[in-house]
Amino acid sequence: MKTFPLALTLSVAAAAAQAQDVTLSYMMWDPSQLEIEQATIAAFEEANPGVTVEVQAMPPSDYWPKLSALAAAGDLPDVFAMSSGFVDGWAAAGNLADLGPLTEGTDLSVYYEGAMAPGTVGGAMVAFPQNWVAPVLYYNRDMFDAAGIAYPSADWTWDDFRDAAAALTLDNDNDGTVDQWGYWVYGRYAHVDTWVFRNGGRYLNEDGNRLALNDAAVNALGFLASLVLEDKVAPMPQEMEGIRQQDVFPLGMAAMWVDGSWNIANVRSVADPEMNWGIAQVPMGPDATEETAAAYAWADMMAIAANSEHQDMAWKFIQHMVGEGRSASDFLGGKVPAFRAIAESEAWLERDQKPDNKELILEIGAQNVYTGFSKNWSAWRGYAAEGTGGMNGELDEVFNGRKPLNEAIEAFTAYGNEVLAR
Amino acid sequence: MKLPRYTRAHLWPLAFLAPTIVGLLVFRLLPIFWSFGLSFADWQIFDAPSFAGLDNYVGLFTSPTTLKVFRVSALFTLLYVPGAVGLALALAVILNSGLKGMAFFRGAFFLPYITSVVAVTLVWRWIFATRFGLLNNALDWIGIEANPAWLADPGFALPAVVIVSVWRDAGFYMLLLLAGLQTINDEYYEAAKVDGANAWQRFRKITVPLLSRSLFFVLIVALIKSTQTFEITYALTEGGPNGATTTLAFAIYHRAFIDFEMGQAAALSYVLCVVLGLLTLLNFHFRRRWVHE
Amino acid sequence: MNNRALWALYLVLAAYAVIALAPFFWMILTSFKEQRDLFRIPPDFTPTVLFSDTPLKNYAEVWTKRDFVIYFRNSVIVSFLAAIGQVMTCSLAGYAFAKMELPGKNLLFAVVLATAFVPAEVTIIPEFLLMRWLGWIDTWLPLIVPSFLVGAFGTFMLREYFGALPDEYGEAAVIDGANPFQVFRRIYLPLAQPALIAIFVIAFINNWDELLRPLIFLNSPELFTVPLGLLSFFSQYEAAWHQLMAGSVISVLPLILVYVLTQRYVLQGFMGGGVK
Repeated sequence: MKTFPLALTLSVAAAAAQAQDVTLSYMMWDPSQLEIEQATIAAFEEANPGVTVEVQAMPPSDYWPKLSALAAAGDLPDVFAMSSGFVDGWAAAGNLADLGPLTEGTDLSVYYEGAMAPGTVGGAMVAFPQNWVAPVLYYNRDMFDAAGIAYPSADWTWDDFRDAAAALTLDNDNDGTVDQWGYWVYGRYAHVDTWVFRNGGRYLNEDGNRLALNDAAVNALGFLASLVLEDKVAPMPQEMEGIRQQDVFPLGMAAMWVDGSWNIANVRSVADPEMNWGIAQVPMGPDATEETAAAYAWADMMAIAANSEHQDMAWKFIQHMVGEGRSASDFLGGKVPAFRAIAESEAWLERDQKPDNKELILEIGAQNVYTGFSKNWSAWRGYAAEGTGGMNGELDEVFNGRKPLNEAIEAFTAYGNEVLAR
Repeated sequence: MKLPRYTRAHLWPLAFLAPTIVGLLVFRLLPIFWSFGLSFADWQIFDAPSFAGLDNYVGLFTSPTTLKVFRVSALFTLLYVPGAVGLALALAVILNSGLKGMAFFRGAFFLPYITSVVAVTLVWRWIFATRFGLLNNALDWIGIEANPAWLADPGFALPAVVIVSVWRDAGFYMLLLLAGLQTINDEYYEAAKVDGANAWQRFRKITVPLLSRSLFFVLIVALIKSTQTFEITYALTEGGPNGATTTLAFAIYHRAFIDFEMGQAAALSYVLCVVLGLLTLLNFHFRRRWVHE
Repeated sequence: MNNRALWALYLVLAAYAVIALAPFFWMILTSFKEQRDLFRIPPDFTPTVLFSDTPLKNYAEVWTKRDFVIYFRNSVIVSFLAAIGQVMTCSLAGYAFAKMELPGKNLLFAVVLATAFVPAEVTIIPEFLLMRWLGWIDTWLPLIVPSFLVGAFGTFMLREYFGALPDEYGEAAVIDGANPFQVFRRIYLPLAQPALIAIFVIAFINNWDELLRPLIFLNSPELFTVPLGLLSFFSQYEAAWHQLMAGSVISVLPLILVYVLTQRYVLQGFMGGGVK
């Protein structure tokens, strides 16, 4: 050591420190997932000496206030979870780094193309999918068997669906109160919008800046309302009040239900282990052609702060978090990894668990996917299950038989356009 | 206008008030004026604010949704304040009557106030459930077969939220009133008994006037609290059905952190402040009439 | 009071006690269940976990899953300091507003009260920018200092309380040569003991339950408070209710303890305080 010039030693050490000592901050909205993520993060830190990742997790209702405060202060974490529905707004404000230059030289074909779509705004990629989800038709096989009808199939029409729902609606003790409903409908995006899109329906105009429902959309909403109000094969939502909406199907109170694929986990945990159930595609509507019928699917995204000083390392981190380093068991049942090889693996298909046909979700994702997101989507559609504002509240009124559909459409269109005009 | 003259004698009260004044200026008024300024801005939190003049305020008074929020909030306050204070007063008077086992009841009644709102609301959702709920089954049992959808019918949802809010806070107000009741000298009651006054007369002529100071205080606290009820609404109805329980506090949270429209949320808040300020002034004005000093 | 009226009174009290306590018992019951048994219709009243080989399973998971011991300690420190501060500054301020002469004091009091009307959701972003400028982000200072300096509820309550006490008590002391602080400290403050304890209890509870501020101001898990810890039982779509309930029971215990310990003094304060 003594023969070594002191100054050189110092500068080499300093350079090494500069190159290596990076602290990445990362915020996510799924605290219960944190332990799983932490193992993956530890692997990343090990593979990149000198890099420390500080992770924070909080549920969505607390995540957004915190992230907003950080954005207002210009202190956004280097990497953070981003909702598909919020990408447009956050990108327009210049908070999200353009991933284009960072992804150069990365082979993106290993990821689902449809999952990447919501992360692209005005041609620029500003958010990257970690996993994606799609609404599916859950059905109770025991009930279908008991009624002696065939399981839902890909060529089902809406009339087939209605007939099946009628046959599955039972009043076993003839007391005038239905004991088993054919279908269970709830007015949130995951329960309704698939029907609309599968009928070729659209809420927004071509430019995506005004609400203007086309006939196919109106017809789809009318179909759902008629299942409740005319055919009486689905209960009014208020009848079920007091039971969490996601428990109606697993508790065996309805034979069919449409909701996001993430609910596979809930059905597994709430339903009787003996209950035999599967998933199917939501049938294509009468107004749609193969071209206009769209599948509904969206992704949980990750984004990099526009003012992050470590964008290269951040991109490396995202790739690690979404890429081949993950295992299928890291993903909640029904969430599809954006990295194709994992999603298409036997491990992800979980043949030993129900449902036995998870590949159906992959088939949905391979179709023509449409999300209908726009600026202020959360306000006019009603963000997730949260709040009963926007379309949510009006559709509740329709399904509870308190407001005619046309009045409700008029009301939420007016409100939505007020929001979109801001 | 004559400026007040401060003398050396005022140094003492100023010293007493010094922490409050510093705290008020730095940690209360500064953020408040800041956000008041933002109520004149078009500001999506994650975006740079831009001056919007009175747009946010004009928007509030022309949008049917906000007008509904004002209506719902006013109704909530009108139901909640008398309900909570009335129940609290009844409980406090009973607990102050010197019966055995009162310490237990006092603790029991206060418990809802400290129990986690999320836990509490899960139970209340069961109680209010349409078909399986305790309440509707109890109503059935006594012959009322209306079976309202408590949390899903716009006509019943607000009363349901009021019931839970009253239930939660009554024990807190009871404690405050109890503190006031215990300053009333027993000798007044003894004297009144000797004079042959019955329980109602004693309540009316002794308790109410001598408790009026505490009662006034509790009324103001309940008034403030009635405008800030957020957690219960959030966990019970999420502001629904169709806005029937969207009170100001809920609307403000939603505007601020779901819609990210901070400028509008601020405008909404300052309208709320003006209304509350006027109500409180009115209260202090009438205080002279009924509060026994 | 005759016997029948007495029984009726007890019946009313007991009925209300059931209503007041039921959710709490439900919370305890739920904390001894498995996740899959939580949402049965009609509700199931069997605490299945309690009758299993691992009766305290949910509690053990809560206690070990995250650093609850640390969150607990943090909450106690923060809530205690904030509450003590409230009692000190609010008693000084409340006394000054009630018993001392100062031009403009009513206006000042009105401003203190008016600040309570502004919802935290709106001021939280400016507050965050302020705390950031002060360099207080990721410390407990934003949770303690503002609460230490000014409290509308406590000031108002003590203003009412001191206002109700006769002026004569102090006048006698002044004749004996006591300065204003001595009058306050020796004569009035002891008389206000029950109100001070009530303020301490309420401030402690409010600070203990505070979620929004710790959420916004803290980043490091080693500084987290109990409500932030409870968030870890939520996921994107769901909550681990059985564990959340166990966590809620744990987090409410200190509050019950504070209440039980202090309620004796609330009474004693009056009885031994010389009012009667």
